[in-house]
Amino acid sequence: MRQAAEDIVLDIRGQICPACLMITLRELNSNKEKLKNEKARLVVKTDHRDATRTIPSAAFAMGYRVSVLQRDKYYEIAMEYEK
Amino acid sequence: MSGLEEIEKTDPRLGNERLKRYIREKVNHLLSVMGTKPLSREELDDNTLLELDPIGIIALSFEQILEHQKDTNERLTVAKDQLQAVFDAVGVCISIIDEDMRIVNCNEKQKEMLVSANTEVIGRHCYEIYCGKDSPSLDCPAVETLATGRPVFIREVKKKNKHFQIVTSPMKDAEGRVTGAIEVSMDVTEKKKAEELMRQAEKLTAIGLLAGGIAHELNNPLGNILGYATLLLKDGESGLGPGQKEKLEIIVEQAKKGSEIIRGLLDFSRQSVPAFQDILINDIIMKTVRTLQNRLACQGIKVDTALADGLIVRADPRKIELVFLNLMLNSIQAFEGMDRKGKAISVRAVREGGLIQVKVADNGPGIPEDILSNIFDPFFTTKPVGKGAGLGLSICSGVIREHKGSIHAASEPGKGTEFTVSLPAGVKG
Repeated sequence: MRQAAEDIVLDIRGQICPACLMITLRELNSNKEKLKNEKARLVVKTDHRDATRTIPSAAFAMGYRVSVLQRDKYYEIAMEYEK
Repeated sequence: MSGLEEIEKTDPRLGNERLKRYIREKVNHLLSVMGTKPLSREELDDNTLLELDPIGIIALSFEQILEHQKDTNERLTVAKDQLQAVFDAVGVCISIIDEDMRIVNCNEKQKEMLVSANTEVIGRHCYEIYCGKDSPSLDCPAVETLATGRPVFIREVKKKNKHFQIVTSPMKDAEGRVTGAIEVSMDVTEKKKAEELMRQAEKLTAIGLLAGGIAHELNNPLGNILGYATLLLKDGESGLGPGQKEKLEIIVEQAKKGSEIIRGLLDFSRQSVPAFQDILINDIIMKTVRTLQNRLACQGIKVDTALADGLIVRADPRKIELVFLNLMLNSIQAFEGMDRKGKAISVRAVREGGLIQVKVADNGPGIPEDILSNIFDPFFTTKPVGKGAGLGLSICSGVIREHKGSIHAASEPGKGTEFTVSLPAGVKG
């Protein structure tokens, strides 16, 4: 898979589920074309542990490849469309 | 008018409350489908909830999920079709069987090789469909794989008169339990036939050389025996006692038989170069019939001939005559000891494309299936000792091969035997 050109970063630190999921889904929907053409990937920064389960699960069902990285005091969830 | 509309009309504030409660309830339901917990009022108050439009977000997300599933389904269908095409196009037979040895799937090649037309195979036992048996064979590689969970590499197995080289591999579930086996088999019947022919040809060459050498060495002393015995008979006609004359006659007769065997051996070893010429096959056939006329009449055998006109082959007439003589003698000898009416030999000759085909058939006792493949072997005979050396048909086979033709035998015990000789047509044949 080729590397997406742009990172759309969504910082939702301080928010808890299900708002985290809602906001992430809203971003996935509004950037759908860009993401599906592999021009961008969505990177979500969250400090809510539950979101590392709910977001990847929903994004995977929508066809995105998901990776979760643990940073210093938050998690970074990256989503790329998988053709 | 719905209940909600009625409330809104009478008390708009109450209507809004119900509407928000309804939205929150439906959002929570959708969130539970998405695998997350419900919204709490502390987290999102009603105004923020309405602003966020969670139903709209989830609806669009579901649209993406459906698009992805549709896309996945299409890709799976394409992949499945491609896989099926490969599965069917490979030149080997592939079968997937479950732990009870029932067929789960098999490719077209497998069906083509071992399954009769219009036979449903899925769910049936593989040994029943592929081997025509009611239980698996002892050497079945699939049985071994299912029992041990290990693959079996290249085992040769005979199924429905065909030879296969088989490899079986186990199929296992997540716990490592054997759930079935994949059987890949290759038809090696033709390869085995070719190997057998090669062995036969090598054997024939060796026997031919040996027989030719021995025949050559025996020919001279036998000629002397025959010559001197004949001279003694002639010179001593008046002086020989009755017993002596009879004994000399036996010597001459036996020496002549010996000479015949030697001639046969020399023919078999093909030490005489064929003299090819364009000949009418019908002339040869009729000459053979005339030669055997007395024997045929003595045994009450009727000969039917159906010979197309103008069939020319490029052949050595003496050798081809020997072939038809041997074939017809074989038929005559097959009738020996048979006390029945309607004994008949038929000879048919036709042109088949670039070949002249002659069929010599009899309605004699036939040849048992288990020895049919051996009848062209040198020294193979079913006749009693002294009645034949078992060289006749191997000589025929050698002569026909020398003429770049073919000879085949078909037989049905109790109904008769048919030999088919095919020779390349001559210039005007």
